[in-house]
Amino acid sequence: MRALLHQQWTCYKLQLKVLSTSAFEGFLAVLFPLMFASAALLIYRVQDDPESMQYAGLGAAIMGMWTAQGVVAASMLSRERWAGTLELVVASPAGLGRVLVPATLAMSTIGLYCVVATIAWERWVFDLRLEISSWPLFVLSVLLTALTLALVGYFIAVTTTRYRYSGTLGAALEYPGWILCGFLIPVASLPAVLQPLSWAIPTTWGMAAIRSSADGGSPWGDLAACAATGAVYAVLAAWLGSRLVESARRHATLALT
Amino acid sequence: MTSDLAVEAVGLQRTFVTHTGVLRRVRKDVEAVKGVSFHLERGELFGLLGPNGAGKTTTIKMLITLLLPTGGSARVLGHDVVDDVREVRRRIGYVFGGDRGLYERLSARDNLRYFSELYGVDPRRQKARIAELLELVGLTGREHERVEGFSRGMRQRLHIARGLLHDPDVLFLDEPSIGIDPVGARELRATIGSLTDVGKTVLLTTHYMFEADELCDRIAVIRSGEIVAEGTPTQLKGLVTAGRVLEVETYGVAPEAVAAATAVPGVRSVLAEDRGQQQVLIVQVEPGAEVTQAVLASLGAARVGRVSAREPTLEDAYVQLVTG
Amino acid sequence: MTSLRIFVIGGLMSYRALFGWLKPGILIPTLVFTPICQILLFAYIGRSAGVGDDEFYVIGNALNYAAIPCLFAMSFTIEGERQGGTLGIVLTTPARRLPLFLGRALPVVVNGWAVAMIGVVGGALLLDVHIPGGAWPSIVLAVVVTSASCTGLGLAMGAVTLRVRQGSTIANVVFCVLLVFSGVNVAQSDLPGWMAAVGDWLPLTHGIQAARLLADGSGLGAVDGLLLRETGIGLLYTVAGLALLRFFEDESRRSASLDRV
Repeated sequence: MRALLHQQWTCYKLQLKVLSTSAFEGFLAVLFPLMFASAALLIYRVQDDPESMQYAGLGAAIMGMWTAQGVVAASMLSRERWAGTLELVVASPAGLGRVLVPATLAMSTIGLYCVVATIAWERWVFDLRLEISSWPLFVLSVLLTALTLALVGYFIAVTTTRYRYSGTLGAALEYPGWILCGFLIPVASLPAVLQPLSWAIPTTWGMAAIRSSADGGSPWGDLAACAATGAVYAVLAAWLGSRLVESARRHATLALT
Repeated sequence: MTSDLAVEAVGLQRTFVTHTGVLRRVRKDVEAVKGVSFHLERGELFGLLGPNGAGKTTTIKMLITLLLPTGGSARVLGHDVVDDVREVRRRIGYVFGGDRGLYERLSARDNLRYFSELYGVDPRRQKARIAELLELVGLTGREHERVEGFSRGMRQRLHIARGLLHDPDVLFLDEPSIGIDPVGARELRATIGSLTDVGKTVLLTTHYMFEADELCDRIAVIRSGEIVAEGTPTQLKGLVTAGRVLEVETYGVAPEAVAAATAVPGVRSVLAEDRGQQQVLIVQVEPGAEVTQAVLASLGAARVGRVSAREPTLEDAYVQLVTG
Repeated sequence: MTSLRIFVIGGLMSYRALFGWLKPGILIPTLVFTPICQILLFAYIGRSAGVGDDEFYVIGNALNYAAIPCLFAMSFTIEGERQGGTLGIVLTTPARRLPLFLGRALPVVVNGWAVAMIGVVGGALLLDVHIPGGAWPSIVLAVVVTSASCTGLGLAMGAVTLRVRQGSTIANVVFCVLLVFSGVNVAQSDLPGWMAAVGDWLPLTHGIQAARLLADGSGLGAVDGLLLRETGIGLLYTVAGLALLRFFEDESRRSASLDRV
């Protein structure tokens, strides 16, 4: 157990270092959602209603987490493959999950940074002060959202790796996540066919929990749903991951460039 | 303006300004080319040899108009490389080694078509010209494939075809054979050699001495931005060592022994080369001197294998010129 | 004659050679799926906020997304020369630089136009937006003008990437600037004053306004001023881009600045 934690911690630190030295992850991962958040806030601002500004401000703050995870996770294994390190990673005695989870946790950390940056931006540019009734519950909800999003990222990384242009695919996931997870659009107002998709993403529940803890409600039900859906992604990803490694060994697709 | 010379460089100089340091930027002038003069007759194959960073590519870049000289002047077919840019560009071809410089996503044929347009090759002649060049460089049959799948040798041959598209009078080949396998390199040498048969003037830079020896009519050796020797390959060999070269195979020779061998009267220089387990001492001998016994005696306890004497090669001359 | 061929044939070949997205696996997610998603995102946000109508967001975001090919493809066709090591070879050719670089813009304009039209048509169908049949020809024209002016900005950006590199990062930043400042999702009159003032000097702003008026049933005569302004701003960036390219080439001969890769 100690060895496992040590390995996870070391991998996490190194992956965070890799991410924060790259121009895209370091700069664009913050700027892109920040600009979209600004565009959304400019729309909400037209009506000048404090209640809807609080709604939009909370959602805009969490939006960046999705970008830091979805877009980057999808291309992670591909980047390893281009760099020629994927074979080395798979050949190491640690399981694929033990390598991928710290990496996606590192992405979630960048996502948390986005949350803080956006909240600061909202104060500074839009003069919008978020009302948070319970800070401990709010922070807990944000952290659990980040953690479960890392598990979604693990799932995305495993499923997209056979796709040649997975970076593109990751970028294409950005808007659907923003539409579905209830950041700026209430899930109930989406077309009925899309709503089940929203419920299948832990981030939707996480966002609901964040809103409840900010507005003085009880977040526990949403947090439980968030944790449960997150766990499903982890199990699915672990299973798919082992299948992936098997199939790659059979079809020699690891070194594919 | 006409001139009998294909290329003429007079006191050509190039200084680069670099900055070092982050907070306090320190300006530093680097003299890459320190006033070189040479000329190429029409139809000549001229070699420019020198170690990495000696200024070969900088010299070529000035001649092909990509870089302005900071001193001196140069003419290509009588046109000044600073002022008559378009006239020079129309008449020259430029080919460099390595696998860059091609559009990976286009086929070989499309790469050639593109540059035909940029060089203004008559559209009615284009198709035939491209077919002819593909044939010349042995890529017929592969012309529809994307370049990303090409081997290094194929890319290099395509580069040469590209350089010849507009039938230039002067070709600049900058290390064209770098990284090519022996068979490919031999084919490439045959292609380069045939260029002068059809009246082209070629300026070639290379690291491979046998290549220069085989191909070039004349050679200039450039070191740290200066030409240190110029002449035919035969003249160059004679210039450095009119004497012979003694090669001694040894096992475990000590540095002191090499120093002792160098001190033997009649020995100009001793170079120890590692070849697997053995070291081969390459001993440059002054003309007429008989040093074999004395050199062997100076090696002391080291085991000695085969001893042979040979005539100097261009490589011996080159090594001596650029290290001496 | 040679220059005309360089402009048309050379331009098309450079675009094929240097724009790496021309594979279905990249093209469809990037230039078909994503613009539709952006339209839906902002249309739903508009509905939740109770601001604007669906048509407003369909036109604004469809035209905004034309900037993606216009900025990225245009700067790739210039920056790619440097990455592939072909810049030096291209610059030793006697080809005239004006048709050489402007020719690359032509396929890019067509690409941007197609992406915006996919957005307008797709968004209108999905959100059940009604645009009168008679308005379409003039909307098509407004989209051509807007793509062309965005491509002008792309050309200027491409020139900058010869020296700064990081073309994709710059293109993303510029795209975001356009999203926020050029009245894509908020009418320019509802933007803070300084933002609207910046928008006045960006491509897209006037083109989007014109396209919205046309979709609402105005005739071409009512928007000719806007389209003229859009064209003028596009030209301004194009001239700046060409001047920069010229400057960098001259400067590179002096200081070898384009040789370092």
